[in-house]
Amino acid sequence: MKLSDRVRLDDAVALRPERFGALAYSYRDRQLFFVDHALLPFVESAGGHTLGEIAGDLEAAGKVSKEALPRLLTVLEGLRRRGVLHVL
Amino acid sequence: MYYDALRQGLAAPICLTWELTYACNLLCVHCLSSSGKRAPDELDTAEAKRLLDEWAAMKVFYINVGGGEPMTRPDFFELMEYSIEHGIGVKFSTNGTLLDRRAARWIASTDYLDVQISVDGASAGVNDPIRGEGSFSRARNAMELLAAEGFPFKVNHVVTRRSFQGLDELHAIVTGMGGQLRVTRLRPSGRGKAVWEALKLTQAQNRELYDWLRAHPDVLTGDSFFHLSALGQPLDGLNMCGAGRIVCCVDPRGDVYACPFVLAPEFKAGNVRDSSFGEVWQGSPLFERLRGWEVGGQCRSCGAYDRCHGGCMAVKHFTGVDLDDPDPECVRKPEAGSTATLLPLALKPRAISPRPPAASRPVGSRPLP
Repeated sequence: MKLSDRVRLDDAVALRPERFGALAYSYRDRQLFFVDHALLPFVESAGGHTLGEIAGDLEAAGKVSKEALPRLLTVLEGLRRRGVLHVL
Repeated sequence: MYYDALRQGLAAPICLTWELTYACNLLCVHCLSSSGKRAPDELDTAEAKRLLDEWAAMKVFYINVGGGEPMTRPDFFELMEYSIEHGIGVKFSTNGTLLDRRAARWIASTDYLDVQISVDGASAGVNDPIRGEGSFSRARNAMELLAAEGFPFKVNHVVTRRSFQGLDELHAIVTGMGGQLRVTRLRPSGRGKAVWEALKLTQAQNRELYDWLRAHPDVLTGDSFFHLSALGQPLDGLNMCGAGRIVCCVDPRGDVYACPFVLAPEFKAGNVRDSSFGEVWQGSPLFERLRGWEVGGQCRSCGAYDRCHGGCMAVKHFTGVDLDDPDPECVRKPEAGSTATLLPLALKPRAISPRPPAASRPVGSRPLP
């Protein structure tokens, strides 16, 4: 997954806010996914901004460090592979 | 990683069991809810729909519908469709006896609906003494109707000392029909209390089951064997007691319990006729207590604690074991009780009534909005 990518949630996935961020549930394959606070802005972006723009905003706000970004991209890639996210 | 977050409770349950009715045309010897007769004060259709409205607002993703036999309710199809229309997926458990061709077509054509048929042995000879004469062939008939529709049904099997030998056979029957097997643990809940000692797995069977489950990743367990994770690599699932944390049960009268396996006054958190479900889920003193509690005692110094977390609260409660003590079926404890496979236990479940009550017909189905 690249920083220039825009992502959106799959139509059959519902998000519910939780203390740790959110729970995502795929009605398609009946799977639950944990989405932590750092990941939530990317997952909820609905293609409005690129991953790089979102990461930039989070960094500026002191919510995510540059070092944490590769891990976040890996998790997002995992969600894409499991059909939770789509790259636009 | 999320153990603490889950232990401390969620905004809404992940696993919400809704026992629609205590009415049942069977009288299984191990029924967790002691079902048979309908309770006179069960929630009516309007109350049931209000509950579904609230769950939809709370973003409950899906509900596990059971009973009793949920298909005996005249408004069964209406309520299931109402749930799905409001974005709540349905997984319902049935004994299959009322599942006819028309119901099979409705199931196959309805999105976000899963069906689980209860079968407690690979043959009538093993199943029927537990579930009632004729119940195996009726369940098998329901499986065949769903298979004919190409529907990937599930079969739920409460594995017992008597049925254990037939696991491979049952697995073959179910997968051969395009279904998926789910194996769950016998608990001493409801009528299960009277037969638990005689039907629970032996230590040797528990060990064999652990290996069998590890070798059959396609088999679901509903997270019910997490006490066996103490044997080695954890089994798939959260491996923790979710009662009042991620799990709860609403009974046919609207009573809210911590878990479908503890329908006992000590584990009743409230009633949806007295307050909203959300108030009970978020604010009941019982649930708050469960969310702050972890099994203590000798379990804390056990090397397997991180994998089994002390085992099943319901099994402890109904066997009179302190909740801070190890699970009665703890794999690190010596065997207790008889290990005889064939016990002189007379099981007398009711045979199926020849003319079951007919549930109302489906009124058409729509996909989720």
